Amino acid sequence: MTIKSLLLATTSLLAALTLPAKADPIVLRALMEDVPETQIIEAMLPEFKKQTGITVEFEKLAYGDMHDKLVTQLTGASSAYTVLEVDFLWAGEFPAAGWLTELSPLVQSAKFDLSPFIPSMLDLVGHSNGGLYLIPMYNYSMGMIYRTDLITDPKLAAAWKTVNGKELTAPKSLADYVSLSKFMKANAGIAGAAMQGQRGDPNAMEFSNYLFSAGGRYLDDSGKVALDSPEGKTALDLYVDNVKNGAQQGALSATLDDTQRLMCDGKAFSMITYWWMLPQIDDAKKCPAVAGKVALSVMPGGHGESGGWGWGIPKNVDAPTRDAAWTFIQWVQGKKISVARALEGHAPVRADVYSDPAVLAKFPSYSMAQDVVASGKAFPIFAYSAQYEDVLGTQLSLAAGGQADTPTALKAAADGLADLMKKAK
Amino acid sequence: MATSLRFDREWRTGWAFALPGLSLLAIVMGFPLVYAAIMAVSSMTLLHPRLLPLVGWDNIALMIGNPGFRHALWLTFGYSVVTVTGEFVIGLGLALMLNSVVALKPVYFAILTIPMAMSPVSVGLIWRMLLQPNLGIVNAMLEAAHLPRVDWLGSADLAFWTMAGVDIWQQMSFVVLILAAGLAALPRDPYEAAEVDGARPWQQFWYLTLPMLRPVAAITVIIQLINEFRTYDLAYVLTKGGPGVSTEVLSFFAYRRAFLGLSLNEGAAASFVLLLVVLVLTLIFFVITERKA
Repeated sequence: MTIKSLLLATTSLLAALTLPAKADPIVLRALMEDVPETQIIEAMLPEFKKQTGITVEFEKLAYGDMHDKLVTQLTGASSAYTVLEVDFLWAGEFPAAGWLTELSPLVQSAKFDLSPFIPSMLDLVGHSNGGLYLIPMYNYSMGMIYRTDLITDPKLAAAWKTVNGKELTAPKSLADYVSLSKFMKANAGIAGAAMQGQRGDPNAMEFSNYLFSAGGRYLDDSGKVALDSPEGKTALDLYVDNVKNGAQQGALSATLDDTQRLMCDGKAFSMITYWWMLPQIDDAKKCPAVAGKVALSVMPGGHGESGGWGWGIPKNVDAPTRDAAWTFIQWVQGKKISVARALEGHAPVRADVYSDPAVLAKFPSYSMAQDVVASGKAFPIFAYSAQYEDVLGTQLSLAAGGQADTPTALKAAADGLADLMKKAK
Repeated sequence: MATSLRFDREWRTGWAFALPGLSLLAIVMGFPLVYAAIMAVSSMTLLHPRLLPLVGWDNIALMIGNPGFRHALWLTFGYSVVTVTGEFVIGLGLALMLNSVVALKPVYFAILTIPMAMSPVSVGLIWRMLLQPNLGIVNAMLEAAHLPRVDWLGSADLAFWTMAGVDIWQQMSFVVLILAAGLAALPRDPYEAAEVDGARPWQQFWYLTLPMLRPVAAITVIIQLINEFRTYDLAYVLTKGGPGVSTEVLSFFAYRRAFLGLSLNEGAAASFVLLLVVLVLTLIFFVITERKA
């Protein structure tokens, strides 16, 4: 080999090494709650890849484990999760900690139309800390799912009339609901209410429905803590009464999954739960024991807990990944895919999906769902919302387990909220 | 002079061999420990991820003044005593039975090691399903036997004992293995002499087996106490510390402060109190092993 050919070979090798490498295909990873909504989107991901070349991978986990896993990723120099599913309870904490990308510039440059999104959903999960950090993903406002066949059962109706002197109908107030729940437990041979009383998120979310229905609230109009009130006391008394006398055995350790299984098996009359649970329970393949015998209503008393998830982008990702994540968010929350998701049981956050003829034709109950969404009230959202759920949940669990009386538990829950709000300032 | 040179060379060789291992320990154990210690006296939270300003003992004082922390500390003491006692009593009984078994001994040992080989999270999930009050197999069996269903994890009075029972079920196999090894190593002569003297089996157990087994038993108890003090997984999976605070052990309390309360400094302070307790237990462990030596 001559020196010339050696030089040529070396130069070629160097040139090959210094040529820009072909860019790696972008893979987005998201930590998702293991619920039907996730499965609906997951089934559509191949279509997104076909359109954009971007792969999206979901890692599915139970709700209770998600917050810690996300926090540990977001506090690092880089995150394994490059597109985020964020619960409304963390919508104050994550932007306050500086973990999320502000989406307004991306919305403006892409001319992404936010007007179809239900304003209350944008307020609940979108706007925070003076900016737009999340795009609403799906709604999980809470209402009552109950067994219509038991309400129309002649024997139960007669027994109810004998005891209460009135017709057996779906309850209209919180006190009526608890009374009916206890009646069903005593007379129908099943639990009156499938309750998710495990300490933390499950019982804090459940109790919020009781609080709002009893006319209580966490904060007054000036933002001061108003939980320790006569309405709050009524709500907690009724909550404890229902756990003790209306709910299934083991209610204080039960989660959403437990209540869903119980209702699906026909072993409970009712559940205060997320409205999107109705299509899951009212499904002859999944729940043959109760399909066709269940209905959704607004929380007796008029107001349930509002809730929802949003899509966000971590701050600790590079620009190409951020752009890919934004492309995905626009696609998945656009009208076309939102309608397609709704036809599979998605809980929409866009008003134009609730009014879509195809969606209403398949799910007439979506008109009731819109009422549930419209009447919902929100848990206090601030930097320590997740901790407040734990503080409140502990007090609820102590009261329902007989380890604290309701005035003491309510005062401790109110003081805990005041302390955390002070800490957040 | 030659002795001194030899000592010098051995000293250097010793350090040369130990250095890689010590460096690794310093990185994987020393650094996190020191960092956690600094965090425990810092103002670091997840919302304000800065160590400065240092706040001295404030976080530890805050923890000690917190009724929830004190409850968790005492609960952890009680939990450790209950579980270790259960593991030891049942474990010793099984070890004695295995000691007298001749046939199929390896099979029994293999079966006994299964719970030990499982992760506490898997154990918690399995038992949570088995003990599910409405759909779980344990209550179904009770009902089939015309016994009342039991609210294993949802009752504030029972959840602590249920969690302790699951823990004993898993940890017992370790105790059995250690005690069985200790029993197998006991000399036969004293037993033969006792039999000649007409000692009954329980007298042999009380006056021979127990005293001779004491060093092994003490070490087993101390190791298990340290293990139980650090219990976290079962509380997380089975009960999330509830109902109320009836199963909130100290590790779970520290986790709540750090990750739900976003206060890494307070979580680290609570963990350091736990570390102190475990350190004291470890010291006791070393004293016992030294005495045994």
